[in-house]
Amino acid sequence: MKPDAVNGQLEPLILATVGEESAHGYAIVQRLKERSGGAFDLAEGTVYPALHRMERDGLLSSSWSIEAGRRRRVYRLTRSGRSTLAERRREWGSFVRAMEAVLG
Amino acid sequence: MSWLEELSDELAARGVAGGRRERILAELGDHIACEPGCEVRLGSPAVLAARFAEELGTDMARRSAFTAFAALALAAAALLISQLATHPTGRYPGFDSGHSLLLFIPAALGMLVAPQLALAAGLLAAWRAIRRRSAPILPAAEVALINRRARIGLIAGLATVVGIELYVADFSASLPAWRLATAGGVAACAGIALLASARAVRRAGEIVSEHAGRAGDLFDDLPLPGSTWLRAQPWRLGSAASIAIALGATLFEWHAERSLAEGLQRGVTEGVLVAVGFALFGRAVGVVAQPPEQEPTALVE
Repeated sequence: MKPDAVNGQLEPLILATVGEESAHGYAIVQRLKERSGGAFDLAEGTVYPALHRMERDGLLSSSWSIEAGRRRRVYRLTRSGRSTLAERRREWGSFVRAMEAVLG
Repeated sequence: MSWLEELSDELAARGVAGGRRERILAELGDHIACEPGCEVRLGSPAVLAARFAEELGTDMARRSAFTAFAALALAAAALLISQLATHPTGRYPGFDSGHSLLLFIPAALGMLVAPQLALAAGLLAAWRAIRRRSAPILPAAEVALINRRARIGLIAGLATVVGIELYVADFSASLPAWRLATAGGVAACAGIALLASARAVRRAGEIVSEHAGRAGDLFDDLPLPGSTWLRAQPWRLGSAASIAIALGATLFEWHAERSLAEGLQRGVTEGVLVAVGFALFGRAVGVVAQPPEQEPTALVE
């Protein structure tokens, strides 16, 4: 899949990924890859500006943790992030149904 | 030079500094430590740093426009409270009742002219920030316009509170101490809020973005009737606004002072001040759109 197509949908993808379980940046990227079967081929660095922006927008919260002697920023969904994810899922469902109805 | 060192330099070059840069480097450093050799999949450090700067610059400009507007609202309240405190009857002493014209003239300019500029520039900054609130990245030229409007509004707001303090000093012999203390105190509080907000605007202006695009102009912000005609020659808007404000001020003062001559005198003065304001600050606040080749490529002017 083209990186541009993925970047356009990065926010709901990150919300869904973090919604499962709190995670740090690397783990989020790995989950995205695993769940998409490797279809989402994006420059991994682009996830970090998106994470920072979503935190500023109140969709995610984050805190430092220490693992294996390294500082690691762990992200989790906020209440606002949870409701945004539900909204995005509804929108996506409607979009897919509409596309299927046209494409057959 | 390692990938992380390159990223650090690129972030610094774009004004992303201090705790923000440390956090980004720590997160990306952890990513690389999880899978050594994955740097190539992270993308170019320059591209990543540019993305951080563009998003951060946009967000900081919007937020600082809102804080500037809030601080200017405090300054407006301070102006109102100071007037109520020093002149509860609404009657003003003559300019020769104070200590010195050297205090009175800058005080009058600060209290009468600067608030109008602060209101216009602050409102325009906040309105553009509201209009563009959902865009993750704004063109560098547009971010610079928001920052410039906020900066002009804050400078005018500071001139207003300085004007209040000078006014208090000028009439310190003829008014009760508690009235002067109230006026001076609220102005000082507003001044502190304005300075704090100016710091946020300065920080927002330090972020360097190269995101291409137009800044737009005043006519993008305000749905004015006949905007195509006005946009072609922006002096038409300046003239129309000056005349409308001069007429409004004349009618208001004529009614308030019960004297047409007094009304005309103040109305014409208001109109001239608005025209001068347009000429001096029109381009800076985006009355005239900058041609694409002259648009700044960085947020720092």
